[in-house]
Amino acid sequence: MDNPYIRLSLDFNDTRLRAILASGQAVVLYRLAIMSKDGDWILREDQETLAHVIATLGRRAARYRYGAPLDLRWLAHGWSSHLEFHEAGLRLRCDFVTRPPRVSPATLAALWRSPAQKEVPVVTLPILVDLKKTNREKDYAVIGELARRMEEPHLQALHSRSARDLLQLFAEHPAVVAEAARERPLLSRIREGREAIERLLDEERRALMRANENRLDRYLAAARRWRDHWPRLSKELADLPLAAAHEMMAAKAAELLPYEP
Amino acid sequence: MSDRRDEFLSEEDLDLENLSTQELEACWRLWLGQAQATNDQDRASYSHGVFDRDPAEPE
Repeated sequence: MDNPYIRLSLDFNDTRLRAILASGQAVVLYRLAIMSKDGDWILREDQETLAHVIATLGRRAARYRYGAPLDLRWLAHGWSSHLEFHEAGLRLRCDFVTRPPRVSPATLAALWRSPAQKEVPVVTLPILVDLKKTNREKDYAVIGELARRMEEPHLQALHSRSARDLLQLFAEHPAVVAEAARERPLLSRIREGREAIERLLDEERRALMRANENRLDRYLAAARRWRDHWPRLSKELADLPLAAAHEMMAAKAAELLPYEP
Repeated sequence: MSDRRDEFLSEEDLDLENLSTQELEACWRLWLGQAQATNDQDRASYSHGVFDRDPAEPE
């Protein structure tokens, strides 16, 4: 597919798996919706990967947007890095993390052993669901359809956003739903019927959105000094090649952006 | 009993599954080209990650 984000993925993964496509472009590759003009990747958390990504983007004359440097000191604590370049009249944005939110270390390690394969390595459906548990309403519609693409009833029970689907699942696989209730409390009330489950799904969604907001608030508060300095620093970085901009940015971030939020 | 089901996405979205790779690519390229029209509006914003707004961009 002639998608610039796929070409980038291929370049990032030249000779070695370093970058797994996530979120919006993963949704495209799963043929679920076209809803993001940016690309985002989970990067392998090692120095060689970051150097390779910086070199790849440097060849495309990318520049840093406001964010953390592509540096393990920040990425290992959940910060994100953001770069942008233009190609063939398109603005292409590249967002990176090494510690995606809501994904456990064991699940992340399993992803690196065995990513889903579309045209390029891409996050698995259950991880894509966890990435989509943001504070945006539209992401929960995507989760609803993603759950329907899952083959295992247990995974459907854990991720479905449809009361009707859950009741049908309970009718067909009561033991599976009972087992999944250990991880998803609303399933323990499945016998209360559709209206109750719909209400519980709404409550669950709002709780997830609030949890994500609280997580983001922690990072925004920790980045206050970095944010205040960024307008001046971004002008200094503007004309530098990416490798030099990266060095300068990392040096300044070490003064102003805490590693741990 | 109704056979209605909960709907999450549009028929156009769900029809992506029936497109060939070439059709999906053409659809995505067309969409991305059209989406460039909003570049000025979302210049400062973020789709992913832990930052919400570029402070170097005017409000």
